[in-house]
Formats: sequence, C-alpha cells, structure tokens
Amino acid sequence: MLRDLAMATIESQLVGALGAARVLTSADALLAWECDGFTVHRSRPRAVVLPESTAEVRAVVRLLADAGVPFVPRGAGTCLSGGPTAGPDAVVIDLARMRTVLHVSTEDLYAVVQPGVVNLDLTHAVHRHGLHYAPDPSSQSVCTIGGNLAENSGGPHCFKYGMTVDHVLGALVVLPDGELLRLGGPAGPRGPGELDLLGVFCGSEGTFGIATEITVRLCRDQDGVRTLLGSFASMPAACRTVSDIVAAGLVPAALEILDQATIRAVEASVYRAGYPEDAAAVLLVELDGPHDVLAEEAAEVRSFFARHGALRVEEATDPAERKRLWKGRKGAFGAMGRLNTDLYVLDGVVPRTRLEEALAGIAAIGSKHGVVMTNVFHAGDGNLHPNISYDGRDAQQTARTIAAGHEILQLCVDLGGSISGEHGIGTEKLDHVRMMYDEDDLAVMQRVRTAFNKRGLCNPGKVLPSRGACAEVAKWPQMVARVLDPEPRR
Amino acid sequence: MSTTPELGAAAPRSRAELQDLLRATTGPIRLVGGGSRQHRLPDPADALRVRLDGLASLDRLDGPDQTCSVDCGLPRSELDAALAPLGLELPCPGQGTLGGLFAADPIGAATSDGPSPRTLLLGAEAVLADGTPFRSGARVVKSVAGFDVHKLVVGSVGRLFVVTRLHLRLKPRPRAEQWFENGGLALSEALALVQRLRQLATGVLALQLERDSDGRCSVRGRIGGRAAFVRELVRAQGLAASACTWRDQAITGPHDEVLAMQVLPSQLPALLAAVPATPTLLWHGGNRCELVLAGSNHSDAVLAVLPSLSLGARIVGGPPERRGRSTPADAATTRLTRDLASTLDPNGRFV
Repeated sequence: MLRDLAMATIESQLVGALGAARVLTSADALLAWECDGFTVHRSRPRAVVLPESTAEVRAVVRLLADAGVPFVPRGAGTCLSGGPTAGPDAVVIDLARMRTVLHVSTEDLYAVVQPGVVNLDLTHAVHRHGLHYAPDPSSQSVCTIGGNLAENSGGPHCFKYGMTVDHVLGALVVLPDGELLRLGGPAGPRGPGELDLLGVFCGSEGTFGIATEITVRLCRDQDGVRTLLGSFASMPAACRTVSDIVAAGLVPAALEILDQATIRAVEASVYRAGYPEDAAAVLLVELDGPHDVLAEEAAEVRSFFARHGALRVEEATDPAERKRLWKGRKGAFGAMGRLNTDLYVLDGVVPRTRLEEALAGIAAIGSKHGVVMTNVFHAGDGNLHPNISYDGRDAQQTARTIAAGHEILQLCVDLGGSISGEHGIGTEKLDHVRMMYDEDDLAVMQRVRTAFNKRGLCNPGKVLPSRGACAEVAKWPQMVARVLDPEPRR
Repeated sequence: MSTTPELGAAAPRSRAELQDLLRATTGPIRLVGGGSRQHRLPDPADALRVRLDGLASLDRLDGPDQTCSVDCGLPRSELDAALAPLGLELPCPGQGTLGGLFAADPIGAATSDGPSPRTLLLGAEAVLADGTPFRSGARVVKSVAGFDVHKLVVGSVGRLFVVTRLHLRLKPRPRAEQWFENGGLALSEALALVQRLRQLATGVLALQLERDSDGRCSVRGRIGGRAAFVRELVRAQGLAASACTWRDQAITGPHDEVLAMQVLPSQLPALLAAVPATPTLLWHGGNRCELVLAGSNHSDAVLAVLPSLSLGARIVGGPPERRGRSTPADAATTRLTRDLASTLDPNGRFV
C-alpha cells in the first residue's frame, strides 16, 4: 500500500514534468512496451514517459533516482535480446520523440542527432549532400541511433565500414544520477590523455546512462556499387567462396549468405526476390568504390563464384535490380514470420574460417531438438543468425527452442567465437555470459558498471548475470524456467 | 624474473611472473613498454618501473581470419614483419611495443574515417593491480558480449590495469600504394588540399599536415588501392609522389613544450590565430594535433585561450613537472575517470 502511494506520488511528479499526455500508466497503453524483438521475455513496465529534450530526460532521471525507482531507456524497441524490456517496477524512458537531426557538417563530415532519430532517416537527411550514415542494421528503417549506440549495432555493411562504435564521435549523456557527461565530439571520440569512455559506453545496453545527443561520422557516398548474387549447390561452397574473396584482399561492402530454408521462406513471401529455390545457399556480394575498380573487382568475384561451382550468378546493373537482390536479404526475418507464430533470432560469432564447421554443428543441434531452423548471416564477419521458428504458446516448443539456442551459442564459443555479434546480452543471454567470462572477468565488468551507475537503477538486470545465479553456471534450464514463468513471484 | 636494480626496474617474463610481482609489492608502479614514450608522461618519481617488453610473443596469427593475439611487449616492428608475407597490416600509425602503442594511443587514426587503436582492439587479457587476471572482449572481429572494459586501456597509459595480451583486427594491405608529400604550401593551400582529400570516398589511407616555424606547410599521406586507381588519384589531386615521410611526433627543441589536442582542420586557422608567435604544428588525419611552443609562458597562454575556441589540450612534452597539465575537463568526465581509477586500482598503484 505504501509502495503504491509512493508510486502514485512519483507518477504525479512525472505528469508535472512532462504533462499527462506523455506519461502512460494504464495497462492497455503499456502493452506496446512489454517486450522488444525478443518476444520470449515479456514484462509490462510500471509506466512509460516520453521526454522530448535533454532537460526533460534529466528531470525524469533525477526524479526517479531520488525516489529509488529503476528506469529503462528505450529507442524503437527493435532490440533482439530484451535489452529495453523493463521489469514491473521500472519506468521506461522512451526516446522516440527525440527525433531531430540537430546539425550536419558537410565540410567536416559529421552530424549531431537526438537519440530517437531513425537510422535510415539520417541517411535520407544527408543524401542530397552525397553522404550517408554507414551502420545499417536490418531494422534500419525503424531502429534509432540511440538504440544503435546502446547496442553497438552492426549490419550487413559493417564488414567494410565497422560497427556503430566506429562511427560515433561523441555523445551528451544523462548519467543515472542526473549528471550531464559530454564524451568526445566532432573532432573525435577521445582527447589526448583521456580514457575512451565513449568506447566503453557504446554497447553498454543502456545501463551506463542515456545519450540525448549523439555526434556521428558521415561517410561520402562511393562512385558506384556492384551487387552480385551467386547461388550454390552446397553451403560449404558458398562459405569457401567467401574465404577466397577475403583471402584475395578484396574488401566488399557486404558478404551475406542465406540458406535454402531461408530462400524458400523469402520466395514464398511478399519479399520474393527471385532467388533460385533449388540452391542450397545464395551469397550476396556487394562491392562499392570507383567505377574502374568495381569492374575489376566484380570480375574477380565472378571468378571465385566459378571456382566454387556457382549454379547461377546475377549482377545488378541498375538501382532497381540492386534493390531486388537485397529485398530477399532485408526481408528474410519478416519472411520467416510465415513459418510459425514466433521467431527466435539467434546471434553468435565464429572465426570466419570456421563457418562451415559451425553451420554443420548448428544443423545437428536443430535435428537433435527437432526445431525448424533457418540461417541468414553476415559471412564476412562470421556473424551467424540461426533462426528458430516456433509456436510460443507451446511451452515444450519454447523450451526446445531455447535449449537449441543455448547449445548453438556454446558451439560458437567452443569454436573461438562469441555469444553475440550485434544483438547484445540483454536478458536473453544472461545465462550464457559465463560461457565466455569467468567470475573475475564479470567482477571487473561489474566494477565498471558501478562507476557509471552507482545505485544500479539504470536498466537493472541486464548484461551481467546476478551473483545469485552463480550456482547454475551455464545451465539453460534457468532460461527455460524464466520463459515458463516470466515474472516469478517475489 | 630479471631485475635491473640500478634503474629501480623489474622485468617479468610471463603473466604469472607479473602477477607474482604485483602481489608481492605494495608501492607505486610505472608500467613501461619499450620506454619510447616515457618522455611524454609525467615524472613517476620513485615508482617501481615494471618493464613489459619481456612479454613479447606473437601468440596467434590467423591470416585467413585477419586477426591476431600478441603479448603487450611485442614490438610493432616484429608484428609488421610477420604480417607482410601474408599481405596483411595493422592499419594504424605508431611504433614501440604494441601494449605501449595501444595504451598511449598517441596518434589515433591516420584519416578521419580510418582505423585507430580503439577500433582495432577486439579484446584483451589483463591483470589488476592486486594481481587478479581478467579478460574482456573476444578474438573474433565482432562481439558485443559484456562490457568492453578492454576499450579503457586505449589512452589509459597504464593507469588502470596491465594489459598483457591484445586481440587485434588486421586488414589486407592495398594492392598498390604511394606515399606523397606536397611541401612549401601556405596554410590556406595546405588546408584546401587536406579538405579535398578528406572529401574523397576512398583511397586516402593516411594524411598529415605539418607547419614549420616559418609558417610553411607540408601535406603528406598514403594512397592505396589498385595500381591504376592509385596512379590516377595521385595525378588528379596533384600529389607529389615521395618516400614515406610520415612523422609520429612533432620535432621539438630542448626548451619546447608540446600540447596535444583533437582539432578539426576547419578549426586550425582560428587556433593558429589565437596562438602567440608561430608554433610548429603537426596535425594527423584523425584530427589529433601537436602544437610545439617555445616554453611554458606560451603553453600557459594557449591553454588559457583554448576553451574559448571549444578546444581542449594537454601538455605531453616538456619538463617532467609540466607534463599532464591541461585545459579544465568537464566535471562529470573528471569524476568518472577518478571513479574508474579508484574501482580498478583502489590503492592508486599505477602512476
């Protein structure tokens, strides 16, 4: 009762700060914030607030920090690991209304944006200057720059251009106690003699503070683009083609592979792109650069396709063709929605040279657990996205899905890789973190988090497993239990 | 473990020896790689110098995956020699041991969109001041698992923990390359060339502007790509082909002080207009800049005026007692830096 009274007071103060229209508390209104793209984990927050400026974010954070109420920053909610999913006591600080491009410098090639600016909207905003923002997660038409910063997002073109951390030059951050922190700036992310605070902030999944202004590097558009699609009779042939392309010193803008199950899902959907359904795999190679160079590089790629027995090679000769070839790749996750009611998008990394081994292992794990598995992945980076289609209403299917996911991530680690290449840990992988790190490693990470987030109020329960879970080292049943009982009684 | 008593130094030859050393001692410690950058750090007074150049293995070199793992004391030149036959390179400027290069990050990137130590460091193995080992990051080219504590080593100059092993991303060497230097330019001409090259979408792998004490400027850099493309770019931009004349540091005299800062080329005219006399200046393409000033009076005057230009700087060269002085830092940055140091090195042993 006392707790409810205290919360009512806080809600009243939030309304005082933002107005009633930007403080949501009714159960119906909160439904849209009960999960992100990781739909396995659902939890409705206590309230959602919609600030529109740094000053408002700061006011909200101070108010909640003073009251000891946890809070969770959120962009578009396209995260795939439960990062912005709030617990039942927490308030979501939704930044989607902070969507202004504040400044663009075409001379010094940077932009300053609010965190709610949609990734692709920034590229549209600077397109007329021959510029673009390079990181391009598959959700780029919806996801926000603030969310990208929090997750250190990647995307198909990060093989050549790097991840979000490589493109963020500075940030204005509201720390979890309401203090303002300015990191880096247009001239660079770190001054001489300074620690790389921006480097460790990027990818901290909203647990170190809330970025309210972000300075990003803009890239000059290349003269031309060549997009080639090779179809192969076997997945190993496609993987070896990738190895040869990279070994030759070529640096394509993107190297993407889709397996047969994905191709068929795409071709049966509105994302139909004309991919050959009899192929075991298709490899999408995008080259960009000066026109003369492109012709030579495209010829080299074709020679590698031929060496590995490509069944068919297509090359986009105009923007419409390029769009078509990408349509299937960009729409792959949407297309998989046809296969079942739910989709578990996994994210793991292996050394590029071990892709074949990893894919064989993934297939075996899928068979063992009897799950429907598809693969679409960033082959150049060794960043796998095995996808499991399942019916989330069926607890057994869900449990088998999660068990298979757990084993796939262990496989990635065993092959020398990582449990996440671009989706983050969130809540999804709390039980998998110990596959990569021991208690000493996690204790150091905890110390760093505490330096930013002393009271642990900012996005609690994410990234690092709690000490209470230590006894259950790397045991997937924990995760299954959480799925079957998503909000355990306290 | 070997020791050199006359220098007050210890030189562990393995991570285990380093851990034993840290556990067995209690006083302040100055970490030293090859020692090439010590003249740019504040005086460590009577701290125990711990030399790390005994940890010098190339632990793993995966050419097809374009990654490697190196001990902190491995000289960069040895890594370069191992990479050359594979057609690979570590695409950031700087010399010395790899641990020292990454911990100091004295240059940053060679171009505004080029790789730098912070983007090439994939993960690390490290040891805290109390001897506790830990890992962060991964060996693969992409990983967002856990917090990137390893990023904190970049620029830390050994103040937080000892990085004993670094996992690095490598890149293919361009098929053809050409260094150039266009000298004898007025500042405006040099800046125009720099801005023109920065606006190119591809091909410029390193860029540097140097201004001498007479006010004349040189623009130098490296072009890479396919042979015909490189030849055409050199021709089209009017670049004067040369041997490599890249400098990691500005040239200084015995009484000079060096200020390091981040500055955009578009800010250079205002900076130089606000500076007394005619300083030597070395600007790297990633916007790191060194300003060489004739003594402390000039340095202090520049430090005082920089905030009005929204610029910050730190003295990195000059008398030991002057090194480390800087323009005032943002209060939250100062607090956070202090908190990170005190949580990772609670007794302040690393100096």
